[in-house]
Amino acid sequence: MQPDDLSRHLAPILGDRLIAVEPFPETAGRVRFRREGALDLFRAMRDDLGFRHFSTVAGIDWVDHREAVYVLWSDDAKQYVLLSVDLPAGDPRIESASGIWPSANWHEREAWEMVDLNFDHHPDLRHLLMPDGYTFHPLLRSFKLHEPEELEVKARHV
Amino acid sequence: MSEMWINMGPQHPMTHGLWNLRVKLDGEIVVDVDPEIGYLHRGIEKISEDRHYNEVITLMDRCCYVAGFSWEHLYILAAEEALHLAPPERAEYLRVLCDEFQRIGSHLMWYAAFVQDIGLMSPFLYGMRDRDLVLDLYQSYTGARMTYEYMRVGGVRNDLPPGFSAEARQVLDWLSRRFDEYDQLTLGSDIFRKRCDNLGILKANDCVAHGVTGPMLRSAGVKRDLRKDRPYSAYDRVEFDVAVADGADVTARYLVRLEEMRQAVRILRQVLDWLDKNPGPVMAEELPRWLGAPYAPIGREGYLLKRNFPKGVGFSAVEEPHGEAVAYVVNEGGEHPYRVKFRSPVFSNISAARKYLIGYHVADIPPIMGSVDICIGEVDR
Amino acid sequence: MTTPAAEVTPPKSSPDGAFRLEAELPMVTEPAVPFLEIEALRAKEFIPAAKEALGALIAEQGQARVIRPVFNWAGRNSLFPLHWGLACCAIEFAAAFGARWDAERFGVVPRSSPRQCDLMIVNGTVTWKVAHKLITLYEQMPEPKWVIAMGNCATGGGPFRTAYSVVPGVDKLVPVDVYIAGCPPRPEAMLDGILKLEELIRERKE
Repeated sequence: MQPDDLSRHLAPILGDRLIAVEPFPETAGRVRFRREGALDLFRAMRDDLGFRHFSTVAGIDWVDHREAVYVLWSDDAKQYVLLSVDLPAGDPRIESASGIWPSANWHEREAWEMVDLNFDHHPDLRHLLMPDGYTFHPLLRSFKLHEPEELEVKARHV
Repeated sequence: MSEMWINMGPQHPMTHGLWNLRVKLDGEIVVDVDPEIGYLHRGIEKISEDRHYNEVITLMDRCCYVAGFSWEHLYILAAEEALHLAPPERAEYLRVLCDEFQRIGSHLMWYAAFVQDIGLMSPFLYGMRDRDLVLDLYQSYTGARMTYEYMRVGGVRNDLPPGFSAEARQVLDWLSRRFDEYDQLTLGSDIFRKRCDNLGILKANDCVAHGVTGPMLRSAGVKRDLRKDRPYSAYDRVEFDVAVADGADVTARYLVRLEEMRQAVRILRQVLDWLDKNPGPVMAEELPRWLGAPYAPIGREGYLLKRNFPKGVGFSAVEEPHGEAVAYVVNEGGEHPYRVKFRSPVFSNISAARKYLIGYHVADIPPIMGSVDICIGEVDR
Repeated sequence: MTTPAAEVTPPKSSPDGAFRLEAELPMVTEPAVPFLEIEALRAKEFIPAAKEALGALIAEQGQARVIRPVFNWAGRNSLFPLHWGLACCAIEFAAAFGARWDAERFGVVPRSSPRQCDLMIVNGTVTWKVAHKLITLYEQMPEPKWVIAMGNCATGGGPFRTAYSVVPGVDKLVPVDVYIAGCPPRPEAMLDGILKLEELIRERKE
């Protein structure tokens, strides 16, 4: 499957919600879309194009905006495809994929916890790796790491 | 009868790591489960953003501690793509060598832990003994038993020591005889068959929908193996078969893993043949000193000589012993990766626990979860 | 307990010489305490001879001085560590119980219940999420109890010390008796740590 095949199939379904399909080495391509088209795109990828395996979703914090990169695999084409969507940093909200692929459940919980992406209609959006009540999102660029001694000194002076 | 929730973990002999399986029981029957992970979350993805590209390899060894080589390989492939580098061919074969020895080592560790869950003690000793032979081989060319730091961005750290090939072949001959003995010990045992047959069934459709990969998926009859379907390194130049079973139960997972070890022996013989005939460099030329690992001085001075690599994004996927692992590395220029994301196979395999545990007895949980082959380091990262 | 070493009665032995009590520990100078040799186990008449000799010794020196070394001897030769695996070091911990190293020859047998254990080997990275569970497990262990911090993570956070979720050293949570360096330590190093702990127990007084 080539990027052209993807865009030929997806353009009529998504319309202007599809931004572009770029080539990406060793994959079927990288589909860039607007978040309004998320559910339609997911459904088309699974049902029409055969990407039945949801591999993961990676959240990336670009400071001025955030990006969610979905990784899907098709057993028929034996190829990966990347779906990339830009979300505004103030309102990083996108429709959950866990209704389409049940395996997205935990991956989205992790992305919410680590990069603060909000997944609408997620069945169970709660902490996964960090304990309940943890209020930070560690993989944001604004979250800095410190040597433990540094923190101790800081705590002593507060 | 009233139902109740029971914690199996974080400290429980069933867990093989640090996680908590919350089980809802109706008498002896499992009604609901809720796996709780994160007890070993070490923030590897965040720490990687503060490390140089080669320093992330240290974390990868500890990320999955029974399959360090596979995770190094995963990260290296993505990082090389992000930095637009290519390794020499001999390094690719050496990486396949590492990967396949790692597969044997990891499956032997699984075998040792799994049979002990079922109540067979002597196979544990056999599995650990043979794993130590494989670990001796790692030690001869990396210097370490578990945390190797052997692969580098642009190649591997060093070549094999003289005499390695003959020694490795001896170990392979020994191992291939042992696998039949393992089968006698387990499949020949009534206890094993009665405890494992028709247990923890997860059919192909559920496997795909819940993102289950690796031996669990192949035990359900789905012939997906990234080494075959999307060959990386030198896997397109070696011959092997994908191990598949159709039982979708605990015994089928056992059969798949044993067959994978036999196929790994087959691959390793071919790789050793190739390595004997084709000497050459193991590191890409003209790397800046902070990346060109083997001779770079360790310390700030070595790192200061930097070359600006063009920006790029690296994506890689490997078939590690537990299943499909994916890495996504973003290079925004500079010495540190901007963002590193890993997909762990066991993470998804555990998340489907509701599908393969509900309806069985509480005493069936150890063999079922044992057959999943849990490495909690890569689940929590 | 302030008797100088010189005043201790000379060692007693049973008539056939198979059983004897030493007057002094080799490394402890004051106060000298009697010490039961392992060779005594090999004698056939161990129990009656031991009863007789111990009874005589207790009558002479008081219970506390005699029983303590026996306790220490028994305790250090049957250390039961808690059976749990935190991270990478747990694999080497398991390897130490495999065929090549066979840690059980030192009397070390992992038990799954903390209430049967007297040794907690912290074999891996401790996160803040598991910290209070670790403390609970430690408190559930009966006295006397010891802790070994195995590997760099348990000692000081290791390569993950800057991480937001990692406790930089398990000694922030529970008292540690022996630290083992290595990432991960080899099984030999783990056994060496256990032998070091046995030395500590040998010197234990209260």
